[in-house]
Amino acid sequence: MPPDPLPQQLADISELLGRMCTVVAGALQRATCALLEGRERLAQQVVAGDAQVDALRAQVEGIATDALLFHAPVAGDLRRVVSAIRSAGDVERMGDLALHVAEAAGRGRPLPAEVHADFAEMARLAVDLAVKAAEVARTRNVVLAVELDTDDDAMDALHAHMFGVLMADGWSHGVPAAVDITLLARYYERFADHAVTVARETVYAVTGREPDAIPI
Amino acid sequence: MRDAYQEQLDDLADGLAGMCAQVARAMEKATRSLLEVDLQLAEEVISDDVRVDEIRATAEEKAFALLALQAPVATDLRIVVSAIHGAGDIERMGDLALHVAQAARRRHPQPVLPDEIKPYFAEMGRVGVQLAIKAGDVIRSRDLAAAAQLESDDDAMDDLHRHMFSVLMDRNWSHGVGPAVDIALLARFYERYADHAVAVARRIVYVVTGRMPGPLTV
Repeated sequence: MPPDPLPQQLADISELLGRMCTVVAGALQRATCALLEGRERLAQQVVAGDAQVDALRAQVEGIATDALLFHAPVAGDLRRVVSAIRSAGDVERMGDLALHVAEAAGRGRPLPAEVHADFAEMARLAVDLAVKAAEVARTRNVVLAVELDTDDDAMDALHAHMFGVLMADGWSHGVPAAVDITLLARYYERFADHAVTVARETVYAVTGREPDAIPI
Repeated sequence: MRDAYQEQLDDLADGLAGMCAQVARAMEKATRSLLEVDLQLAEEVISDDVRVDEIRATAEEKAFALLALQAPVATDLRIVVSAIHGAGDIERMGDLALHVAQAARRRHPQPVLPDEIKPYFAEMGRVGVQLAIKAGDVIRSRDLAAAAQLESDDDAMDDLHRHMFSVLMDRNWSHGVGPAVDIALLARFYERYADHAVAVARRIVYVVTGRMPGPLTV
């Protein structure tokens, strides 16, 4: 079978990357529900669903490698292919982090009620970032891509706030809960970081420059 | 005589192997800064991290030039694609060494680690640094047996990581929440560092065989 023409491959790659972001957004959403509501079946579903993300990543890499092999793209098209290969790695990692949240939910050590609202908010920010990253991947909208950086600041602030809560003298839930919360907060923060990276890769693919150099 | 193209490919591999050596040194110093409460060492790691980022940028430029000008196929294409992935992994290893150094700096002059925890981190540091050095060797040699060796070395890191958590979660833990939070994150940094080294070696397996080894469990 002859390879698809390059424009078709590029469109397929964008679509698949978008789908990957949407899938991991859903996974983190469900993992968070499982975590906050103690729903172990839901946690198991997230764990089982991670293979889909890995398969999508393999598909992106397969098409990207074919594009390099058969069409030897240059300039903007080459950047687009390479940035897709890198982005697919980031989104796969987001899937792994959602999986870690689900695994924590399945461990049957519920989080103290006083941190539920913070985790709900971290999840909302992270899922939002992944949904936006999906749109950026599909539409290659550079303005939206730059917005993600600002959204991520809210996540960083919340992440820092969590440590403040744990280190405060009034913390009464003991060390195991503090360790769980430390790692979980890190998973959300890393998830958000990878979403930002996906958006930055898109800016780079479209403009040939890192987002910091874009006057928006 | 080797042609210019082959030289470019070797140059790319050399750049990545050098990057592994750089992040191995960074983790070695970061671990010492943590264990010996040495602020100056921590600062060195923190200021040297831009060098890793620079080597990555250079490696990526080389990879792009190869793709654009030589349109490599087969094994050569796999080398270039793997180099792009590898550069990302190794840069991340540098970031993780940086995080360890930042933890040492943040608590200075207080030690981050209680004395009885230090041996575990000395060992995690040793295993991590060895993995980075071995990953660099594998990039140069493309030796599949050496690549497989990284996976079993990583099991030692996973065991240490798991053990660290059982220590923290034990009811006899007497150092309170603050150190436990620091240690939980630090142990994770070492474990992730090792995972990225293994990922680099796995990419080399893909270069040589055209197939990725089974899924990496993270």
